[in-house]
Amino acid sequence: MSDTPAPDHASRLFRRTLLRVMAVQVATLLLLWLLQTRYTG
Amino acid sequence: MRALDWVIIAVYLVYVLVDGVRRSKGTREIEGYFLANRSLPWWAVGLSVMATQLSAITLIGTTGQGATDGMRFVQFYFGLPLAMVILGVTLVPFLHGARVFTAYEYLERRFDARTRSLTSFLFLVARGMSCGTIIAAPAVVFSAIFGWGLLWSVALMGVPTVIYTMIGGVQAVTWVDVKQMALIVFALIAVMVTLLVQLPVAPDHALALAGAAGRLRAFDFSFDLTNDFTFWSGLVGGTFLMLSYFGTDQSQVQRYITAKSVDQARSSLLMSAYWKIPLQALVLLTGVLVFVFFLFQRPPLLFNPAAEQAVRAVEPARYEALDERYRTALQARATAARAAAAARDRGDRGVSATSLEAFRTREADVGALRTEALGLARRVTGTSAQDVNYVMPYFVLHFLPVGLIGIFVAAVLAAAMSSIAAELNSLATVTVIDFYRRWVRPEAPDAHYLLVSKAATGLWGLFACVVATFAATLGSLIVVVNRFGSFFYGSILGVFLLAMIPRARATGAFFGLIAGMAAVGVVNFGAPSVSWLWHNVIGAVTVVAVGMVLSARRSSPQ
Repeated sequence: MSDTPAPDHASRLFRRTLLRVMAVQVATLLLLWLLQTRYTG
Repeated sequence: MRALDWVIIAVYLVYVLVDGVRRSKGTREIEGYFLANRSLPWWAVGLSVMATQLSAITLIGTTGQGATDGMRFVQFYFGLPLAMVILGVTLVPFLHGARVFTAYEYLERRFDARTRSLTSFLFLVARGMSCGTIIAAPAVVFSAIFGWGLLWSVALMGVPTVIYTMIGGVQAVTWVDVKQMALIVFALIAVMVTLLVQLPVAPDHALALAGAAGRLRAFDFSFDLTNDFTFWSGLVGGTFLMLSYFGTDQSQVQRYITAKSVDQARSSLLMSAYWKIPLQALVLLTGVLVFVFFLFQRPPLLFNPAAEQAVRAVEPARYEALDERYRTALQARATAARAAAAARDRGDRGVSATSLEAFRTREADVGALRTEALGLARRVTGTSAQDVNYVMPYFVLHFLPVGLIGIFVAAVLAAAMSSIAAELNSLATVTVIDFYRRWVRPEAPDAHYLLVSKAATGLWGLFACVVATFAATLGSLIVVVNRFGSFFYGSILGVFLLAMIPRARATGAFFGLIAGMAAVGVVNFGAPSVSWLWHNVIGAVTVVAVGMVLSARRSSPQ
């Protein structure tokens, strides 16, 4: 279990990764949303 | 298909077989055979994770869904990125750090042997059956479109996969997955580009027509528990499903515990978190463009050739009359589509809106005739025509250029084989580690376990091929197997969640697991209209709640 991160490090890592992943997802969803609103009457 | 296409398919099959078999060099011990000595780089593991999840039916069924139903299926994956990040900081460090072969092995360390055995048994039953259906679904399509016997279609996918998985172990599975994933993405992009080139209207007009027909509606914010694909079922139910699939299903867990370190295992999962939704959107958008393509090219009334033949044989006059009305409706729709595109070209907003409305009416006429034909096919054959799975194969075989057909068929084979290989490998691992080594022969030389592991892989391959042959003839069995899996997927996740709660005890975990499955059973039979995505939430929450109550009552430490 030596490479298991400490709780505070894990939570920092989680927040940072979550932000990055969500940024990519938000961009993708925004694109889908734009396609929907622009082309669906 | 021309000779070049067959050559491409043959080259692909020979290549994966040779590439997989030559990976057997590093698998002289059981750790190498099942875990690649925990030496694989994150990017290879990440591609393997994605390839395992992407089955043949994703490639042909999901594109068909894009063509017939539009983009809304993408909502199914909205929970995936969040689930991957949660797993990255919770279960991945636990499982990788525990140096286990299987996820269920960890449950014995944390709880007891019965919890481990029950979860691994449930995995074997569900995955053994589902492996058969993964082969069956594309095999049925291949049989129908190429006119091959079902056994040949099953053998085409099953035999090479069993051989390289049996000989090469997880190294073969992972490295072949990498090439298969590259082939799948290449084929998808090539088809997308070909479609854009072949469309008689500009991409902007194509999207306008798709949008007018409702094919670009990717978001449904209604809170409807009976609807499989809404924003909320995807986000909440999807998160639980993906947590369960990637966190507790050995076919996925085994991919990332082969990574060099916890960080590399995390990174491999994050590859899916970043790319899964964009990739799925690309698959669906390809289907949407196929829909636009068929606005200007005559599609058949029924895409499934076997269903069409059956209806023509039993109800020839009725089918002919329906087909005649369909042809007229298609012509009217094509005229309306061209008029809408021309109006958009001129930039006249008023005329453009009116012509799009006229197109929408014509599209509804065509849709009504297709629904009538599908109803007729169901009455004649006694089963659903599964027409959605034949839209893409029809387009590929009739409209793609020579060479690209072979590449696409090879990509479908790759998608099927990557999923089958991972499942066979994980089934053999659980059989040997959680049952054979745990209960039958706890002390034996590594060479013995390696031999048993290879035999187990071969036997599971044989079992999957036999199930595939039967599943294909009993269409509803596929649905039964999928529903059966959803009975305990969430419940197994609940046990792993309990494992991370320090106060949880073994008795709570075992009886919580049974209570979770019972709760899902009650919902399934008592309220069958509730979408199965919510079963995962119900199962997991019940296990944690019951498990914690029972653990509190039996507070003595383990």
